[in-house]
Amino acid sequence: MKSIRKIASMAVLGVATFAYAGTALAQTELDFWSWRQEDVKAYNEIIAAFEEQNPDIKVTFTAHEATSYNTILTTALAGGAGPDIMHTRSYGSLEAIAAPGYLEPLDGQIDLSALSADELLGTTLRADGHVYAVPFASQTIVVFYNKDLFEEHDVALPETWDEFLAASQKFKDAGVIPLANGLADAWTMEIMSGAFLPNFYGKDFFGEVTSGATDFEDERFVNALEKFSTLKEFMPQGYEGVDYATMKQLFNVGQAAMFVGGSFDIPTFVNAGVNFDIMPGPAAEAGGPRMVATWLDGGYGVNAASENKEAALKFIQFTATQPFAQMLTDKLANVPAVDGAEISDPMLAKVSAMHEEATPYIMLVAFRFNTPTGSTLLQNGLQELFTGKKSAEEVAADISEGIKSAE
Amino acid sequence: MATIELRDVTKDFGGVQVIHGANLSVQDNEFVVFVGPSGCGKSTLLRLLSGLEELSSGEIYIDGERIDHLPPARRGLAMVFQSYALYPHMNVLQNMSYALKVAKKSKQEIEEKVHAAAEILQLTELLDRKPKALSGGQRQRVAIGRAIVRDPSVFLFDEPLSNLDAKLRVQMRLELTNLHKQLQSTMIYVTHDQVEAMTMADKIVVMRAGNIEQVGPPLELFNKPANKFVAGFIGSPAMNFFHGQVVGVNNATYEVKLENGAQFTFTAQNSNLAEGDEVDLGVRPEDLQPGTGGHGTMAGTATAVERLGAQTYVYLRSPIEESMIIHHAGDLDVQSGEQIDVSFDLKSCHLFGPDEQRIEFEG
Amino acid sequence: MAQLTKSIKTPFDNAVVRRRQMRKLWLAFLLFPAMAILLTFVFLPMASAIWYSVYEWDGLVRGEFIGLGNFQEVLFDPRNNKFLINAFFNNVKVFIALMVFQNGLALILALFLAREPKGYRFYQIAFFLPVILSTVIIGFQWKLFLNPIFGLVNTLLRNVGLGDWAVPWLGLPETALGAMILVNAWHWVGFPTLVFLAAIHRIPKDLIEAARLDGASEWMIARDIIWPLMAPAVTIIVVLTFIGSFNWFEIPYIMGGLEGSPSYSTDMLGLLFYRTAFGSVSAGNSDFGTGSALAVLIFIFIFTFSTIATRYLTSREVELS
Repeated sequence: MKSIRKIASMAVLGVATFAYAGTALAQTELDFWSWRQEDVKAYNEIIAAFEEQNPDIKVTFTAHEATSYNTILTTALAGGAGPDIMHTRSYGSLEAIAAPGYLEPLDGQIDLSALSADELLGTTLRADGHVYAVPFASQTIVVFYNKDLFEEHDVALPETWDEFLAASQKFKDAGVIPLANGLADAWTMEIMSGAFLPNFYGKDFFGEVTSGATDFEDERFVNALEKFSTLKEFMPQGYEGVDYATMKQLFNVGQAAMFVGGSFDIPTFVNAGVNFDIMPGPAAEAGGPRMVATWLDGGYGVNAASENKEAALKFIQFTATQPFAQMLTDKLANVPAVDGAEISDPMLAKVSAMHEEATPYIMLVAFRFNTPTGSTLLQNGLQELFTGKKSAEEVAADISEGIKSAE
Repeated sequence: MATIELRDVTKDFGGVQVIHGANLSVQDNEFVVFVGPSGCGKSTLLRLLSGLEELSSGEIYIDGERIDHLPPARRGLAMVFQSYALYPHMNVLQNMSYALKVAKKSKQEIEEKVHAAAEILQLTELLDRKPKALSGGQRQRVAIGRAIVRDPSVFLFDEPLSNLDAKLRVQMRLELTNLHKQLQSTMIYVTHDQVEAMTMADKIVVMRAGNIEQVGPPLELFNKPANKFVAGFIGSPAMNFFHGQVVGVNNATYEVKLENGAQFTFTAQNSNLAEGDEVDLGVRPEDLQPGTGGHGTMAGTATAVERLGAQTYVYLRSPIEESMIIHHAGDLDVQSGEQIDVSFDLKSCHLFGPDEQRIEFEG
Repeated sequence: MAQLTKSIKTPFDNAVVRRRQMRKLWLAFLLFPAMAILLTFVFLPMASAIWYSVYEWDGLVRGEFIGLGNFQEVLFDPRNNKFLINAFFNNVKVFIALMVFQNGLALILALFLAREPKGYRFYQIAFFLPVILSTVIIGFQWKLFLNPIFGLVNTLLRNVGLGDWAVPWLGLPETALGAMILVNAWHWVGFPTLVFLAAIHRIPKDLIEAARLDGASEWMIARDIIWPLMAPAVTIIVVLTFIGSFNWFEIPYIMGGLEGSPSYSTDMLGLLFYRTAFGSVSAGNSDFGTGSALAVLIFIFIFTFSTIATRYLTSREVELS
């Protein structure tokens, strides 16, 4: 008899608990899509911080496979579905979803004062001048180097192109692969070019080529390609088939002395325990500028068709504030686009300092709006250049012709 | 134009012996028929001869030359398959000339030989047809034609008529016999049909369970079967057997009492029969006479009667449940259910000892 | 007379009619699931591709009707058609190479297995095993094997003293496509082998033995008897290889990426379609219009040629017995 009463009371309790949970679930739920599968844990922590301040909003973070993210997102949006909040790419890729009206314009709806005009450019639709996403982080192309190997082989840090070649030769003679980079994943070649080409083609070229004052057959660009292509003798044997994973592996295990990559590669090498540091690409000549190529990686946008737009905007406003930027740099080792964050990580602080002499990552920033994109042309051209299929002049002519045909 | 000699030929399939030491000689230009129930090894023996199967032990000679190590094509023989095995994608002409083409004969020679064979087999009109467009008999002829053009010293036939209807079978039987006369070559023919064997063969080879039971001309096998199996297998309807026991021995004179009560005596010079030995008396249906008399009389009830006018078959059941058949030339007025007496004359009977072997005797 | 006919018709004929109707209903019922799946996943997408292909698209938004404009752009705009031509000829190379290496090897293996050599069941399973593996796994696995530095293939080559041959297989325009074709052949060779083997087993043993008695060598038996009689299997394999070659996607996508790296030497119609319709990170933005037009053209090409090939190849088949 006693036990029956006990069971009954437990049942009542259970129902009550369930009902309570039910009311708790009656908050606004937001879907948040991203391609950053590596960052799920950090984002969940950031989201938890947001939810603490906004207990009526629950955000669910879903990370998709990076290379097919664009396809998944655009297909969902075209089908009238998709998340409330999403990680967007920048520049041309942003336009692809902003132009058809899938994104909510943000200027006027939220406070963007913590962002510079330069950074907002990456998430602004050129056609209507509206901002469609809050920029989240910039990426920078740097040269990673293995401090132990430099010390062991007594190689001084190169500052100029000639020093860079000399240092590479010294490593090569010692049986160390000077540069880990390869051709197999074409996009890594575009990244690599960002560390070397700008210092040869100079500060003014970007402005002139985007305004149409010159084109890619410009002597400065051809010369830059020519110089850049000599690096193939310092890349791994069989570099034509070396892909991104292999590149990282070579640097991780200390087989290669240097690795040209993006600031997004920092966490990988930190986690692998490599004793490394970073430097900008070499100056063309002694005393010349050592520019780093940078671009805005992407932003956070709101689905124009979202039923929870108010809550979504609340979250997006949160991404445009200093506390968010602080978490972004602390937890994800990013150089945040939003001002005011204290960069604690020494490596990131270094990257941030390099922005003193920055140049736009040319093809991504300026030539990814039409087909064929500048990136496609450059990547393919660099593969042809480095496999010896074409000369620097021919590659430059192809790029120039391709860019013109796309306009 | 060839003699064949098999010496102690055996064949194992996965450890099971299916031919237990066959010895056989075939004379030049002989038509030899291998006959026996299915599974007796007659087809296997043919395939060993053809080279499609390899011997496990023993030797085969053609014209005195040992050939059992040679590949099939170099043994100088041709084979006609039960299924005809015509190449379905080739027309009659191509089917018949394939072997010659393979042998790199001149075009002219091929043409001559194929046309000659087609002439013999009345296939000239059909040369450009595919096998699918031929009747069973025509296919059979093409298969034979394919063998003829190769001028083989030995023809092998593996149940070639079993896929034809009864009427065609009789016709083809005659044609094959004529062909044999025309071609003057050695032929070996496998069948399970003893009528084909009796009508076509110069020499019959009776096989059972991998053993050769008896070899001889058809009538010799009919008249003097070497054992109970051959006696029962050759002849249609089959021989009647009556089981009995030796009840008395006196020098070479023996007294036998059959289970059905009939009793008789005989003399046999070279027999080692003893009292109490089990024997079988074999009487062909045509040697059983209605009525009493002869060397023994038995009673039976007619279970079925077939009166065909020129001959009558009576199926009888004796009181001890033996069944027997009478073949009577001419009409015989017996009704089903009627009880009649039958008698036999020892002169036309066969006697088999406890080992089922034939016993020569005088009545 | 009319009455007579009527009286004759009942009741037996009514039962027959009813049974026939039941049969029709039953057939319809059995066919329904297959038809529904076919309709939803084959005909509907095909129809929508044709529908999409005649409109202008701004990214994902449908614009105005432009008739064959997208087709014109795909076929005649030099910006597009140089990729189309390059990809098309790569597909042609793939088809020819697979016919020769994959199916040729399969034929040899089938002839070998048909003789039932010792342990042939083991070989049969060994050759077929890769077929059941997922293409994705095989693509990644071979990408690792072919890695120029750590890969199994080059390590082996170096160990047997063929270091000069240890080239970056997937990195050179001259070798990348060949390497992928060989991987595909490795993956699929078991399938045509099995089909050929089944076809050889269907040929009555008597025919082979008759040919052997006719004096044909093993090679002649294969050429004159087995080959013509396995024509139906050859038809199936040729047509399937053709369709597979022109729809080739997974292996080049995994091993060479969306742009047919290096330098478009492994670009395929399938990759080009994917890039055009859905865009890629670096290759630009999606264009459903030209993408759909490309898909329709690929479909028409494959459909036409496989129909012609089937007709032609079927005409040389012979019924057995």
